[in-house]
Amino acid sequence: MSEQQPLSQPLQTEEPLLNDQEMQFWLDKAVAWGQADSPDTQKDTCLHMSRLRDFLQQLLTQVNSMSSTTETMKRLPFLGQLLGRLCWNPYVTVCDTSRGLLLGCLWELYSERPSNAVEQKANQWIRKVLCQLSTEEDDTAAQALMKCTGVPAKEYHLKVLRKKVALLQENVGQSCTLFNSQRCSCDRIVAISEACIPIVACPEASSLISLLLQRPVACVTEVLSEDFLDALTSAYSRQGLALEEQALVSLWYHSFSSLEEAVLSLLQSVITTGLTPQKLEQQVAQSLLPKACAQHCSVFLVVNDIFRSVLKQAEVNEFVKALVQTFTKCFLKELALLKPQTSISVKAFFPQSPSSLLVPLLTMPSEMPQGAWRNHLNWLSSSLQRLTEEEEEGDGDGRSTRGHHNVFEAWFLLVQCAHWVQVAVQLLVTSGTEDGDPFLWLLIFYHYPTNRWHHRASQLARAKEAWNHIRTLFSGAAHPLPSDRLQSLVTLVSPQPEQQSLAPSLTVSLLVNVAVFCQLPPSGSAEVLQAVVDQSGLLDEAACVLSSLELRLNEGSCLSRDTVHLRIKELQKTITQMHSDGT
Amino acid sequence: MEAMLKNLASTVEMLAVAAQSDAVKHWDKQTLSRAFHWARYCEHVFSRFHNNAAIRRIMEKQLQLTNQTLRDTIPGYTEVSFSDLPRCQHLLLVRLLNNPELPSSLMKMLFDTARPVKTMHGEYEDVTGLCSHIVQCKSVYKVLSPLADMSALGADAEVQGEMLMERLEALLNQGSETCRAEHFLGSVLQGCEGALQQFCVVIAAALLTSKNCAAQTAAHDFLLDWLQKNHSLLQHMCSLLSPTLLRDLAKEHQKFRDAFCNVLKKWASEMEYSLNDSEWVLTSTGPTVSFKKLTELFLALFEASPSLKGGVEKELNALKISDGDFDVTGLSVWGDLLSALNT
Repeated sequence: MSEQQPLSQPLQTEEPLLNDQEMQFWLDKAVAWGQADSPDTQKDTCLHMSRLRDFLQQLLTQVNSMSSTTETMKRLPFLGQLLGRLCWNPYVTVCDTSRGLLLGCLWELYSERPSNAVEQKANQWIRKVLCQLSTEEDDTAAQALMKCTGVPAKEYHLKVLRKKVALLQENVGQSCTLFNSQRCSCDRIVAISEACIPIVACPEASSLISLLLQRPVACVTEVLSEDFLDALTSAYSRQGLALEEQALVSLWYHSFSSLEEAVLSLLQSVITTGLTPQKLEQQVAQSLLPKACAQHCSVFLVVNDIFRSVLKQAEVNEFVKALVQTFTKCFLKELALLKPQTSISVKAFFPQSPSSLLVPLLTMPSEMPQGAWRNHLNWLSSSLQRLTEEEEEGDGDGRSTRGHHNVFEAWFLLVQCAHWVQVAVQLLVTSGTEDGDPFLWLLIFYHYPTNRWHHRASQLARAKEAWNHIRTLFSGAAHPLPSDRLQSLVTLVSPQPEQQSLAPSLTVSLLVNVAVFCQLPPSGSAEVLQAVVDQSGLLDEAACVLSSLELRLNEGSCLSRDTVHLRIKELQKTITQMHSDGT
Repeated sequence: MEAMLKNLASTVEMLAVAAQSDAVKHWDKQTLSRAFHWARYCEHVFSRFHNNAAIRRIMEKQLQLTNQTLRDTIPGYTEVSFSDLPRCQHLLLVRLLNNPELPSSLMKMLFDTARPVKTMHGEYEDVTGLCSHIVQCKSVYKVLSPLADMSALGADAEVQGEMLMERLEALLNQGSETCRAEHFLGSVLQGCEGALQQFCVVIAAALLTSKNCAAQTAAHDFLLDWLQKNHSLLQHMCSLLSPTLLRDLAKEHQKFRDAFCNVLKKWASEMEYSLNDSEWVLTSTGPTVSFKKLTELFLALFEASPSLKGGVEKELNALKISDGDFDVTGLSVWGDLLSALNT
């Protein structure tokens, strides 16, 4: 049901806000709805349902504030008539909320200790209405059969409902195959989807709703009513909807607002809770969004647009970046699963990305021999460097906006495929002094995408300095730890008020990778890491980088050396230890 | 066995209390759940033993005894029969809701919309929201029912037909006691008094259910035989059901096809030409059928079985000849029928 403006403000003052006109309006509506059972009446009922709920809520509050049923009857003489009529309107009684409100109003009219004949009569009437509503049959044959076959009423009604749903499903299913023929059955589908508006949250109807959603788009006329999709979206966001996976995917495909809501809720949960990489991946996969993206290119484009605009505002938010990377990874997995059936090229999913970089970045490190990583990364780094130089040189002339756009898209793709950034760190720390520059440049670009060139250069110098300190600390040559080196590194790493300090995530990732891959014995490595992390207050960040490294190594079998895993475990133990000491 | 009979008797007494006594005034949530628990127990006992003739007889005897005692003590007591047992919970609910002494707190609980049913309340299943769920279920059906679907009968009639068939199968499976099956059909017919058309649709729905096994085929045959014995009902079916439905039935069942054909020939033979209205009118008591409708029904029959057409037309022709073989309207119903069927 589309949310309408409430009829009037919620009751807050002492003065009753309900007036006779309003009461009359709803009474007229109830009479009109009860008299005709035409599609127009049904539509009108559905259209007014949200307003009616607000009205019933107000009524409930107002009746509640009255001293007795006698007073209520005096002040709202038509209340009984209105409630009585609404009780027999299936569109009102089908929804939990409106049924609850309606029953609530009835109970407000019920007097525990009736003090006069009017109240006694009201009590009797309420009992009678409720009894009729739940146990009386208007179908003689049904009643006779229930009695003679011993089938309980509840079971009978469920059976009939399930049969009706099954028959309608047959109807919906059949029209799928008819789409090439002359007769268009879409009108019927629109009618069914409209009729389902009041019952979207009803479990018995969920199979029908799923089928409606998954019906292939076969006709030029939009076959699902917009109100139906809105009703589904709002029921889903109220968590009052149990849809099977594929139906949910279809809902996102049909309804932009439901998709947007799902993506924002995923973002919200990830940003506010700060999950470990493993948990993050789990949550992303459970959200079903990557699966939906793999099935529908348009869904992926929308999701990516949302990520894009969030990143533009929060480029340094590591949680968001981690989400985008994890999401892309899960998406690619789902896409690979669909591969034999889907013929859409991967380019269609990334229309804005620089095409030369697309396939090289989307390739997973595990899909390539380790020996080729260095060349691959050198190529990536120099391509990106060239792209940024070209675009940023154009600053000042008319191409500037376009230039920024291209750099942003290249960077966005890098964030989506940040596994290569992680491999770059690993190669940097394992390959000694030579050839480190392209990797460092890639790291700096990843962390500072939109800064001007000279700024990036100064960050690059800072990163080199930090890298030198780190290397010396972990070289094992100096023992005990040279305190001046340690102090300078801590100063470089620690978050500082001035903007120019190095991104902590960058240094932590260097630090952790060195600690894992250096020649020091595990205990020595742990000692250095502990010292730096402890003094710079980057415990959580270090733990996070460690788990994400572990995840990547486990997964791609990029490096299956047991010693590496043992070292990671050792370092994790140290960090956990520090965590519990700290708290 | 003894314990079971004792429980049965107690539950029947409990049902009597639920309906009439003001003891219900003192019931609480726990009492209510316990009452439904025992009602469920009786349903279970029924499903376990209804096929066992010996145990059934013992149970029936017990019910008779308990009913007798209760009748003597409670004025206006409604008996509980063996066939009521499978819907004990429903009986309990109806009796409670009709009892003005049922505490409003318990009614509120039964109509609660906030919580789903089927949670445990102490050691008994919670009945919170039981009525609310029933109301919702009925409402969903009413919301969907205006929509056209693939059934010529309607979802309700299809379900009713299935219920009838299932019960019939069960009764026939219990051995040679066909009188119980006949009694069952008689009771349904009696219960449908005033809703004959609906009953005819239910019978049609029952005959159109699947017959995948011997038991199902046997039940179909039994119903067809019963229908032939109830000739007036059969005539009502032929007059009240739509020609398409009759065609489907005739297509499905040879027995029905023959019976249908005989009814049509009987009707034709009982028609007289009304000079005032210039048309053939059925003179016999029973359903009113016009000449036009009769023609439609013959066409439906031929559609169901094209091979029948030649034979029937030959027969009609013979009858026309015996009427003098005139080609003038209003002289022979057979001749007019033949020309109507062939235009």
